[in-house]
Amino acid sequence: MFKTVICDLLNIQYPIIQGGMAWVATSELAAAVSNAGGLGIIGCGNAPVDVIEKEIFKIKKMTSKPFGVNVMLLSPYVDEIMELLYREKVPVITTGAGNPGKYISKFKEIGTKVLPVVPSVALAKRMEKVGADALIVEGTEAGGHIGELTTMALVPQVVDSVNIPVIAAGGIADGRGFVAALALGAKGVQIGTRFVCTKECIAHENYKKMILKAGDRDAVVTGRVTGHPVRSIKNKLTKKFIKLEKEGTDKETIEKLGIGTLRNAVLNGDVENGSVMAGQISGLIKEIKTCKEVIEDIINEARKVKESL
Amino acid sequence: MVFEKLKKIIAEQLEVEEDEIKMESSFQDDLDADSLDVVELIMAIEDEFDLEIPDEEAEKIKTVKDAVEYIQNNMK
Repeated sequence: MFKTVICDLLNIQYPIIQGGMAWVATSELAAAVSNAGGLGIIGCGNAPVDVIEKEIFKIKKMTSKPFGVNVMLLSPYVDEIMELLYREKVPVITTGAGNPGKYISKFKEIGTKVLPVVPSVALAKRMEKVGADALIVEGTEAGGHIGELTTMALVPQVVDSVNIPVIAAGGIADGRGFVAALALGAKGVQIGTRFVCTKECIAHENYKKMILKAGDRDAVVTGRVTGHPVRSIKNKLTKKFIKLEKEGTDKETIEKLGIGTLRNAVLNGDVENGSVMAGQISGLIKEIKTCKEVIEDIINEARKVKESL
Repeated sequence: MVFEKLKKIIAEQLEVEEDEIKMESSFQDDLDADSLDVVELIMAIEDEFDLEIPDEEAEKIKTVKDAVEYIQNNMK
């Protein structure tokens, strides 16, 4: 049940992929998700190439299943990282924050699947044209850097505009969301926040607790003025951002304030002054589970939901 | 003539007045487009001028002048 074209394309058991969250999505988390039948993804963020090289080395020891790497296209190391992924023949690449078109043809030669994250119909069409294997369509419910449209509105519009499979992302954490995504025409889901609250995720305990504690209105958006809005859990840092934005502070100052804050929250556990990036679905997450439990619970719940419709 | 035709496309895509569009206008800095607007604009240019603009070329098109030059050099 729930075998889709995404399972065949990526050679995985369940059409569930884990979001490539910077700092959080390390080889530990990715290996656990891949071993549980989904697709684990290492998130590059702004990390230099030697850090990612080590992560790839580690994950190859921890799993024999396919895995992916998410490349943040605004990273200063993007070209070097793409070369590394080519050399290492990483099975799947997902990309964020831009247009990976110019890299796609090279990866086609070695059979690496490229799945760009897209926030609009136009970029989706363009990515299909340059040979993307599938698309991750992410709504504004997601955590971290976000687009404008909701998953509910964007997914069916992209599904109607392209002929390649679509993976829905943003606001999905359980079997209900999974079935809803399939109903919208997606062939799989990408899940981020739910996988942060797992035993295998290396994020600081405080970070996970902050998500578990969060209610429905706690994942707020800051940085709209910079053109790169971010969703994270309300804390001292988000309040500071919002105050500065109201005062009309220039975008350079606001962008500067954000530097290093995600790392501070994820690694040091400073969840007041750090950036606790998480999605709107945080309020639904109540316990720490293993990645295997997360995936199996989603599939089991999805079965019941589907029958009850 | 490329400039005149392009102006119409830009005005429609970015919802700006045609007289705001100058050769030196930058899409993102002067005409308030974001990166996704630029993707849509590039695709509209491809349709209107019957072109295929590869991504490595598209990312160099930042101003009206860049677009005009690209179109003139690549029109069929």
